[in-house]
Amino acid sequence: MNAHKILLLLIGLSIMGCSDLEEEPVGLLSPDGFFSTPEDIQIGVNASLTHAINEEVWGRKLSVALMLRSDMVNLNSTQTRRVEMNMHTITGDNEMVFDPWTRIYLGIAAANNAIAGAEQVDAADDIKNPIAAQAYFARAFYYFHLVRLFGDVPYIDTPVSDIAAATNLSNTPEAEIYEKIISDLEYAEQWLPNTVATRATPSKAAAKSYLALVYLTRAGTNGTADFQMAYDKAKEVITNKGTYDVDLDPDFQTLFNANKIDASKEPIFALDYNNNEAPDNAYDQIAPMTGIRGDDDGGNGGWSVATPTIAVFNSFDPDDYRTRVSFQTEALINDTTVDYTDFQSSGHEHAVNAPYIAKYLRFPGPFARGNKRATSHNYSMIRYAEVLLIAAEAGVEIGAADALDFLNEVRGRARNGGESTNGGYVPETIAPNAVPADLASITVADVLEERRIELAFECKRWYDIKRRQLGDQVFSASGYEGAKPDWNASVDYDTPIPQDEIDRNPNLSN
Amino acid sequence: MKKTNQLKRTLFLVLSFCFVLSISAQEKTISGTVTSQEDGQSLPGVNVIVKGTTNGASTDFDGNYSINVNGDGVTLVFSYVGYVSQEVAVGNSSTINVSLVEDLAALEEVVVVGYGARRKSDLTGSVSAVKTEELTAFPVLDAEQALQGRAAGVNVQSNNGGEPGAPISISIRGNTSINASSAPLIVVDGFVGATMPQPGDIQSLQVLKDASATAIYGSRGSNGVILVTTKKGRSGKLNIEINSTYAIQNTANSLDLLNANDFADYQNQIRANQGNTTAFPQGSADIDWQDEIYRSGSTSNNQLSFSGGSEKVNYYASGTYFKQDGILVNSGFERIVFLSNLDAQVTDKLKLGLNLMGSISKKEGVATQSTGENGVGAGGDDVVALAMRFAPDQGIYNDDGTFSINDRIGDPVDNPWAVATQRDDDTETEKFRANFYANYDIIEGLTFKTTFGLSVDNDFRGIYLPRTLQVSAGGVGGRAIMTEDKTKNILSENYLTYNKEIGNGNLTLLAGYSYQKTTNKGFYSEGTGTISDSFSYYGLWTATNLINGGQGDIYVNETEIQSQFGRVNYDWDDKYLFTATVRRDGASNFAANEKYAIFPSAAIGWKLSNEDFLKDHKTISNLKLRASYGVTGNPSISAYQSLAESASIYASNNGSTVAAVTPFRPANPDLKWESSYQTNIGVDLGLLNNKISLSLDYYNIDTKDLIMIDRGLPWYLGFLDDEILKNVGEINNKGFEISLNTRNITNDNFSWTTDLVFSKNKSKVENLINDDDYFQNGAPSYFSVGNNVILREGEEVGQFFGFDYAGVYQGGALPAGTATISGGVAGDPLFLDLDDSGDITNDDRTIIGNPNPDFTWGITNSFRYKNFDANIFFQGSQGGDIFNMTEVQLNNGDANTTYGYYNNAWTPTNTDTNQPRVGNNSFREVSSRFVEDGSYIRLKNIAIGYNFPSEAIEKLGIEGLRLSVSAQNLLTITNYSGLDPEVNYFGSAGNNNTARNTVRGFDFGNYPTVQSVNFSLNVKF
Repeated sequence: MNAHKILLLLIGLSIMGCSDLEEEPVGLLSPDGFFSTPEDIQIGVNASLTHAINEEVWGRKLSVALMLRSDMVNLNSTQTRRVEMNMHTITGDNEMVFDPWTRIYLGIAAANNAIAGAEQVDAADDIKNPIAAQAYFARAFYYFHLVRLFGDVPYIDTPVSDIAAATNLSNTPEAEIYEKIISDLEYAEQWLPNTVATRATPSKAAAKSYLALVYLTRAGTNGTADFQMAYDKAKEVITNKGTYDVDLDPDFQTLFNANKIDASKEPIFALDYNNNEAPDNAYDQIAPMTGIRGDDDGGNGGWSVATPTIAVFNSFDPDDYRTRVSFQTEALINDTTVDYTDFQSSGHEHAVNAPYIAKYLRFPGPFARGNKRATSHNYSMIRYAEVLLIAAEAGVEIGAADALDFLNEVRGRARNGGESTNGGYVPETIAPNAVPADLASITVADVLEERRIELAFECKRWYDIKRRQLGDQVFSASGYEGAKPDWNASVDYDTPIPQDEIDRNPNLSN
Repeated sequence: MKKTNQLKRTLFLVLSFCFVLSISAQEKTISGTVTSQEDGQSLPGVNVIVKGTTNGASTDFDGNYSINVNGDGVTLVFSYVGYVSQEVAVGNSSTINVSLVEDLAALEEVVVVGYGARRKSDLTGSVSAVKTEELTAFPVLDAEQALQGRAAGVNVQSNNGGEPGAPISISIRGNTSINASSAPLIVVDGFVGATMPQPGDIQSLQVLKDASATAIYGSRGSNGVILVTTKKGRSGKLNIEINSTYAIQNTANSLDLLNANDFADYQNQIRANQGNTTAFPQGSADIDWQDEIYRSGSTSNNQLSFSGGSEKVNYYASGTYFKQDGILVNSGFERIVFLSNLDAQVTDKLKLGLNLMGSISKKEGVATQSTGENGVGAGGDDVVALAMRFAPDQGIYNDDGTFSINDRIGDPVDNPWAVATQRDDDTETEKFRANFYANYDIIEGLTFKTTFGLSVDNDFRGIYLPRTLQVSAGGVGGRAIMTEDKTKNILSENYLTYNKEIGNGNLTLLAGYSYQKTTNKGFYSEGTGTISDSFSYYGLWTATNLINGGQGDIYVNETEIQSQFGRVNYDWDDKYLFTATVRRDGASNFAANEKYAIFPSAAIGWKLSNEDFLKDHKTISNLKLRASYGVTGNPSISAYQSLAESASIYASNNGSTVAAVTPFRPANPDLKWESSYQTNIGVDLGLLNNKISLSLDYYNIDTKDLIMIDRGLPWYLGFLDDEILKNVGEINNKGFEISLNTRNITNDNFSWTTDLVFSKNKSKVENLINDDDYFQNGAPSYFSVGNNVILREGEEVGQFFGFDYAGVYQGGALPAGTATISGGVAGDPLFLDLDDSGDITNDDRTIIGNPNPDFTWGITNSFRYKNFDANIFFQGSQGGDIFNMTEVQLNNGDANTTYGYYNNAWTPTNTDTNQPRVGNNSFREVSSRFVEDGSYIRLKNIAIGYNFPSEAIEKLGIEGLRLSVSAQNLLTITNYSGLDPEVNYFGSAGNNNTARNTVRGFDFGNYPTVQSVNFSLNVKF
């Protein structure tokens, strides 16, 4: 054959190669084949956990909603979505429902992704399962919020591939979701390590503590078997506190001091906040939401949206160290230190003459935006004191003798005093004192009251009111916020599923 | 033995696309001269081909040819554009002189169709050919521009008026999509997806319109196809040609804006109406900013080409330099293009060739068509709109030498002169294309062609806003943007063509395989706070604040498409024509469950004039009926769009930022291309020996499976993006096209011909997602009046949506059915209160205008008297509405205004008016008050040329010399009050596919259309 034939033959043959037409996107972050190393599982876990710090969840919308729905925090704002929270008139269009709903499900999807991804990672179980267990923990953490807020919700525990089927899901009953949460936490309990470098990484103690809280919550007012399991799980943490490196912090103020909290043993699971104005509002705004309007501190103070009533303040023993740590009674306004009876001297319409919540605004640590936005305060989601109180409450229910000891241990720590302030921003060392004294015997009501004082403004109270069905009592005229005329126990314990979501899938219902 | 071998070989060839055969021949040489029968002049460039082969030659400048043939039994075919082809059996002669007859209807003209060519008279599809002289009638940057008004059914629009280097949008038979591109596929010398060559390099241009013609391009055919063939050399002596044009350009008109004193009075009236008693602090200057930003522009275009060839090899090469200084200060464009075509008849069976094209260009842009986006906002980024709104009592500079800003009324903005001169915006483009082909005649009638080509297209854009632009960039310390986008294309096409006479009929078969791979990559980077303005955008690396655009700003997209295609043409007795095509496209960007698509079409034609009852009819010289039906596609899925995607998001652990990946979007395995189902019925009629030829076409295109964004994914699925694409939309285009060519007078000294095209198209929305209205925004985002373009089922595409204006409120009781915006007093605008709420709110908005013209047309009259020729080209559009967004801005009080409004606005003493009081309670209202009739008739081009007689120039060694002068856009007849009825503003979304398809008829901040006077010189050596 001469040259041109060879040439043509070559052209003819070389270009016949058939492509399989599969796309191989290099520049696109494709989920297919993403998970190949244990580090990749961690990347998925990181995504799941970071959705919790977002303004749509703990950064503001969920945390503030939980405060407003409790009997301890009042509203100084006319925004409808907040009024609905405070007055228990929540509609399906409320952003403080919609935003946490969407963002929590983003966290669940990221966890599902990591869990499914772990299956594809070729590594020994003892290498990859402890990482995957963080995702199981995260998924349980998110569903536990959902089930406490909404009751029945759609349940998904794998990456969604069949869009049509997933779009038509119905709600999964609350009881089934509890089973799934418990199963996830048991996996986490099995594989998570005893200790972790930061409490923002889930640990074995975190899984056990949450299991205790889940059982306690599911027990409601009379679930004896669950009370027993709650007691058992809490005790596993208490008995092994050395192994898990958890304990009460000697100084109650440390728990609400961003500069000290990371070294404390008390937080068991926390969220990782940094002084970073991260994209997509992935930062904290609780500090400004609870901050004092017109306060000179923190670049023009806070926004005075969520404040306690004076009745709440008065319900605390003034000699209890926890009162000083929990309430801001002084502020610097126009270069003058004033007490709470003069907080309105700033002239701002939303400022109130009452003590403010101090747990967020006093020691926010470095923050990235004015009004103490984007703080570096790693808020505790569960801490050792709560584990003691779970053991105490469940213990009372099952008649355990040591229930009283656990409660008194919490009260005892408060008597230590510590490095706090005068109620404003002036540092003061508070000497140990005799208040609160140990109790000689306790009832369930005593434990709930102890939780109210110890965990005040930590977004625990609404869930306590719901699980103990306290609404009719605490939202009556004798409640700390006075009568809530719209409170209706038959509907208001459950949050309505967002209407927008029902529009997208009419199979969902409230 | 030999025959068996040949069969085997044929089989092998068909299977492997290669061949191992060579045939020896007894050659002899035929020569002769070809002349025109009409005037006896010799015809250069006539194709002489041995019938049934590709062995051919062409006549030289004196009409002489010479060709080698194999023995006596062959037939020569002489063909020449505009003449009837003639066949002559060679016999034993060695000299054959031929005189060709002019074909008045050009029916014998060979028309390029996809993967082949057909006699025009044998076409069954709807194909418009545009003449080369129409493409070069006046200087244009792109050949696309020259198509306006020249081909029925083809709509051409500049994307930004007369901006140098502005992209051109073409749509054929309406827009067939909402979110995907409606631009036709451009095929140049067989290269699919090429850029248009220079008008001067084009030999022929065909527009394929119906499915019968475009289905051979399958999934890329639904927007129509433009087929371009570039010039090739001819055997004979070297021909050198110089084309040189120079044009002077100016704005067509300007708005009559208030001078400084009247402006101050206007502002004081506004203040009084709003209860403000402080006098407006009038500045000391008095300028019309329009005078400052416009200048006289110029365009020059110089092309040098040479062509020629030997018996076996011919060549064509050209170089073109285009330069334009825009009429807006600081705007310009320049480009150098080279093109060469080389063809070699290597053996009598094998022909090889190579097409090369390379160009570099640079556009110096000036900000126009503000979207209000991109961090500048408030219109500070648009010179044209700024020049109309900026206060006339302020000078360019402040006393301290800084540029003045508008800070007394409305939002602060930089002055238009400052924006025009201080802002850098450079776009540099390099394009290169090479396409190799080999053509092999396997056996008689069977030809194999393979092409292998590549193209690259690099675009760089740099934008810099220096600190001297106080509002736009002063606060951030300069803003620098750089983008780079690069596209590579590799294309291989291989096909067999078989031609055989069967009985009284002629059968042509085509079968082929094609593979194309496109890689597109690029990045976008933006930063503020550069060290110094002196680096321009190159100072981006010094930016203290790098703005990472994030997901999507750094990208690489690869698309592969492989296809099989085939076509059958069968013509019976030159009366009955049948065409069927099919293409099967497999594409990587198609979703997993829909990787392959099949696009069939069929067409029939009936040449009635060849039937006995019409054959010798005195009046009817040609009559053909055509009908076709077929399916074509619009790929409309970008690479990876159907794949699941994750997003990288912020997360931290133990105080450090850590990697985090969360689900972004689910896979969409059923996503499909958009499909158009098109019916075409046409008639071709020739009367009086084809002195009058008329083509009528009716078409109906149902485009289904339009890709729409469904924001309906439940959030509990946990994807960051709640959107999913669905194939649900449906659009219908119906239309009617007329092409009429008449040769009114033809004699030796004088001729007059007329070409008319008429197009009527209705685009109707048939189906939208969930039957919901679909909104777009035809205003810049800082207007804060969105949703003023509506797509609604049953309505035409792109209707204006707003309040229905009902005149001025005179005080007292409201006229029945009307209301004002809340708090209205006498002098405020009244609107129809459609929901009877007593107040005008967003619920009172309705459809207030339709931008789609009833029809568009173009008419060209060409005259020739001896050596003079003249050409007059009118183009027009009838019945489309324009929304005058400019006037909205100029009526809002926070801007300068026109005397038209200032003199007629309602006052307590001037109540008999349709214009509300100044400073009224309407905030940038989008209402029918600003809807105007956009019909126009435009004298697009008028030209006079002179061809020097050959005797006069021969002694200079010149073969041809032509001088001409022309003028463009000299005259526009319209009732539209704005600057130009050919509007093209795309709203806040900017110029993207969706906006091009749906946002029409909005006038705001366009680069103005220019008037130009042009001098041309053409020399041939």
